[in-house]
Amino acid sequence: MKAVRLQLALRTLLNPAAPQWQKVPEEVIPLVGTPLHLQPTRYIRTAWADRLIGAVRAVRVKVAFSSTHIFFRLQWQDPNHNVDYGDGTTFPDAAAILFPINGDAPLLTMGSPDSPVNAWFWRANLRAPQNLVAHGLGSVEKAEGPPLWAQATWTDNEWHLVLARALGEGNFSAVALMPGREVKVAFAIWEGGNQERGGLKAFSQQWRILQVGQGRGQL
Amino acid sequence: MSEAAKGARQLALVFDLNKCIGCQTCSVACKVLWTRGEGEDYQWWMIVNTVPGRGHPKDWEQMGGGYREGVPQPGRLPKREEWGGGWDFNYEEVFFGGKGQEAYLRPVGPEPTWGPNWDEDQGAGDYPNAYFFYLPRMCNHCSRPACLEACPRGALYKRDDGIVLRDEERCRGYQFCLEACPYKRVFFNFARGISQQCILCFPRVEQGVAPACVRQCPGRAVWFGYLDDEEGPVYKLVRLWQVALPLHPEYGTQPNVFYIPPLAPYPYNPDGTLDKENPRIPIEYLERLFGPKVREALSTLRQELEKVRSGGTSELMDTLIAYRWHDMFKPFDRDPVETSWS
Repeated sequence: MKAVRLQLALRTLLNPAAPQWQKVPEEVIPLVGTPLHLQPTRYIRTAWADRLIGAVRAVRVKVAFSSTHIFFRLQWQDPNHNVDYGDGTTFPDAAAILFPINGDAPLLTMGSPDSPVNAWFWRANLRAPQNLVAHGLGSVEKAEGPPLWAQATWTDNEWHLVLARALGEGNFSAVALMPGREVKVAFAIWEGGNQERGGLKAFSQQWRILQVGQGRGQL
Repeated sequence: MSEAAKGARQLALVFDLNKCIGCQTCSVACKVLWTRGEGEDYQWWMIVNTVPGRGHPKDWEQMGGGYREGVPQPGRLPKREEWGGGWDFNYEEVFFGGKGQEAYLRPVGPEPTWGPNWDEDQGAGDYPNAYFFYLPRMCNHCSRPACLEACPRGALYKRDDGIVLRDEERCRGYQFCLEACPYKRVFFNFARGISQQCILCFPRVEQGVAPACVRQCPGRAVWFGYLDDEEGPVYKLVRLWQVALPLHPEYGTQPNVFYIPPLAPYPYNPDGTLDKENPRIPIEYLERLFGPKVREALSTLRQELEKVRSGGTSELMDTLIAYRWHDMFKPFDRDPVETSWS
């Protein structure tokens, strides 16, 4: 994957409908449900044994960066527009972008005690996206990090979401994102209408390498 | 069960269903103390329901959860309207709108279809042999808490005194706990995005004060204490005399709220005389609630009652009468007025 340089203001690129996004190449990333046997409790493994995990099958991703920020535009099909807890039996739709904080973190287990992962977590009912850190399944915590921005719209049975953060060095709870560097990245989507929450989600099975290019004015 | 989930001791309650008058003082005591915050308007950690009835949330007994032969059973999330309650009322119009003579107090917004005590006093059976009784319902602080085992985040834990408590900082509102709880005594806070439940008034208990639902009961219908305190009434009612039974023991969570089953008055024969051979409340119904041991519990209660009626004495009957109020929850009989809350 390549991030394309676009010298535009934060508020411009945060808009998923901004025309400039049309110039950015798109990658279709297939998603699969998280494996049943890795769900952390016996209750969940039993209750979901015969249920579909991971209702969303693909996410279309575009990545851009400016001199100050990096932007991920995610688009996925979801005929159920879940923006809250509905009648009490659904959950808000959500999406996350995952990064290893230090190179080797395992994706399938959301990191490990020694190798944490950093997630940017957007959920349709949250005022702002959350910066999360996980050291393994069931260990997600909110963590201090550079501010995250998000803007989302739901049109024609699809979510359109842009998540953004300032470029910069990382720390123990935030991934380093610098021009000229590569970073591993993965994606997850929760279909709230299918009661997906927590570890019940669709995810991209492998880390993908994202090149945050160095050139300027590529477009 | 993992040792980590097992409390060293176990606090427990016993409700006497022959004495509960359904006044909801326990419910209100809990409400004013704990659930007046944002998103808690519909939450009734303690509620008294009329049974037979559909309860709170509506038809909770059909929602699954708990264990069968040790295996967790899938449960379903109640709909918000199956809880009901948390209504807004037209106080402004009635009290301040100058229409006090015409306007009457009513909920505003969508027409309510259910609530925490919706089917009060309906019961079952036909006149003159209709029957019902009151069933106070709260978190059972189970010895095998399905909520705790279901949580993928370890947000629930069992303290050394047996209280099942939630770390609200760890809870992310996934509600597997609510699905897994067969008693449906977990409440989702729609405003805060986390779940909540009875905390057995642990800040009171830690200072030697009984939980509010216990201390406020005007009917002397509830006992509180450690289940292994052999001098205490809870131990005697549950373990020694075995007249206090858990609700739906077949759910497999080993609940620690126990109930003295109701004896109820005799039914009438068609000619208006008393039918002393058959119970008014069908034994099959009580068995469905409290398991097969309910027959023996009722039999013990009748025998002890007969002893006293024929001039004898019965420690069990004296305990149930509860002559000394403080004895019902010793050593948690400290007056909350004498404590300081920091």
